[in-house]
Amino acid sequence: MSFMTYLGKRVMRMVLSLTAVSMITFTLLQLAPGNFADIQRISAGAAQFGGSGTEDMVHAFASRYGDDIPAWRQYLIFMKGAVTWDFGPSYKYPTQDVQDIIAQGFPISATIALIAVALSLLIAIPIGVYAAVRQNSPADHGTMFLITLGTALPNYLTGVILVLFFTLTLGVLPSSGWAGPHYMIMPVLALVLGPTAVLARYVRSSMLETLREEYVVAALAKGGPRSTVIMRHALRNSLIPIVTVLGPLLASLMTGTVFVEALFRIPGLGLYFAQAAASRDMPLLMGTALFFALILMTMNLIVDLVYGYLDPRIRAAGGVSRWRRSQKSPLRQPA
Amino acid sequence: MATITEEPAATAGVEAGEARSHWSRAWARFKANRLAFVSLIFCGLLIVTALAAPWIAPYHFSETDPDARLAPLGTEGHLLGTDLLGRDIFSRLIYGLRTALFVAFGAELASLVVAILIGLSAGYIGGRVDQGLMGITDVMYAFPSYLFAIVLVTVMGRSLWAVMLAIGISSWVTQARLVRAQVLTVKEREYVEAARSMGASGTTISLRYILPNAIGPLLVTTSFAIPAAIGAEAGLALLGLGVQPPTPSWGSMISEGTSYILAAPHLLFLPAALFALTLLAFTWVGDGIRDAFDTSGEDR
Repeated sequence: MSFMTYLGKRVMRMVLSLTAVSMITFTLLQLAPGNFADIQRISAGAAQFGGSGTEDMVHAFASRYGDDIPAWRQYLIFMKGAVTWDFGPSYKYPTQDVQDIIAQGFPISATIALIAVALSLLIAIPIGVYAAVRQNSPADHGTMFLITLGTALPNYLTGVILVLFFTLTLGVLPSSGWAGPHYMIMPVLALVLGPTAVLARYVRSSMLETLREEYVVAALAKGGPRSTVIMRHALRNSLIPIVTVLGPLLASLMTGTVFVEALFRIPGLGLYFAQAAASRDMPLLMGTALFFALILMTMNLIVDLVYGYLDPRIRAAGGVSRWRRSQKSPLRQPA
Repeated sequence: MATITEEPAATAGVEAGEARSHWSRAWARFKANRLAFVSLIFCGLLIVTALAAPWIAPYHFSETDPDARLAPLGTEGHLLGTDLLGRDIFSRLIYGLRTALFVAFGAELASLVVAILIGLSAGYIGGRVDQGLMGITDVMYAFPSYLFAIVLVTVMGRSLWAVMLAIGISSWVTQARLVRAQVLTVKEREYVEAARSMGASGTTISLRYILPNAIGPLLVTTSFAIPAAIGAEAGLALLGLGVQPPTPSWGSMISEGTSYILAAPHLLFLPAALFALTLLAFTWVGDGIRDAFDTSGEDR
């Protein structure tokens, strides 16, 4: 299969999946009790509608929010705009188009996510390698403990612990808000632990596996210094599988920042999504859901392509998933 | 679900290294892991506490005490203090535990049922059915699971059952893929072939001959999914989309706690600490189960 056919197929699948995501989200939103106008009336009260004349306003809004046309037409109208990256104005923030909200909120989410991933790579690779080289040493057990902490504690709980420590005990960092670089420290730290754990676990087990490969044994047998063999021969090859986790990790971080954003009251995109769901803001919810799904799928595609580039064996096998499956089978030496 | 019941007859000869079944050997390895074993006991205590919440908690979770608002730790009658409305923190923590465990176990049961149904049919029937079902899981994979749970909760409301279902429905994909992969590896084995040749129906073959092979790996993923579901429940509550107040959830307690962090830090500290301990204990049990089933070496 040529590269272009492969790419074409993948892009086709992405388009189909995005359509499915949009249909599922729209249908679910239609099934949800209450519409935007109702929710606004109940939760925000008359204040949202300028104090008086609520009933008239609600009627006027009904046509603006498309409640007077059938749902399928509402969906088609939205999707017609969506394919040209025009999601229309949000219900809740009527002065802003959804794509503008995305353009505002996403960089904030992406910034903390990217810094978090970069930091966790910087931490995870050395400790993963060190733990693998010193297998079963106290350093290894310490790393495994850190990994357990990182997998067990959700990022917002880490955030709470950080708040308790930095804000309450030391009194050095602001507990919430978004008004300068130092507001980023705790959210980023809260996000770092999870990915670090995932990455360190992969680096460690991948390194352990590579260290048993014949070419590493051969390099050691030829009398190469252990550190050189580890850095030049083993590390490089053991980092290839890391690429596969990096994509999904980055994507899930970008979307998963929602809890950290809620905890630290950061105006990122995740927070908008949660608000949109709660207030039945159709364009905003659909727009953000499609955007998140698009990021996730693009990340997976890029990862597959990069992986194929790094390891020619996978290209021959026709895809990452098949490679991963076949990799399970080679005889592994008992430790 | 996450626990293995001991079979006395089968574990009898483990010390001598002559355990009879795969399961009893796994249980012996699990018991040898002290951290996992202690965690299992702790989790058992948590489950009993959650079940017996109405008898253990000194107050009902919504009972207010107007004379003791934001009471500090060690107040008489409210050992762990009270929140802004004068509700007993100790009681709310215990009822919060009940919420967390109910939602987590229920959600995992629901997702397990869906995963087994879809994974089995996709793997066993194959062809068009497989493509269709895997197409669905691909779409679900593209939908970040937290976001899907958020949408589902808005649709189904914020009752305990709705939150449970929302988390369950948004977390079955990985397990469905696992079941399908397991089915594909054993589908062509001789013993399955033999069952088929004796005229066993597709349902019988998949449930009696194929599914048991997937139970080990499923137990491992489920044991890690439980703490994840506990985290998801609290996360939804943190966003204000979890179980409807006044039913306590650790997530909403944490969210309230952040507002009074200077006046009453224990409002934030206590739920966070109990939450972290619970998650760690369940994760250690999961680690123990994984190691008990993994016979390939020390490195995983």
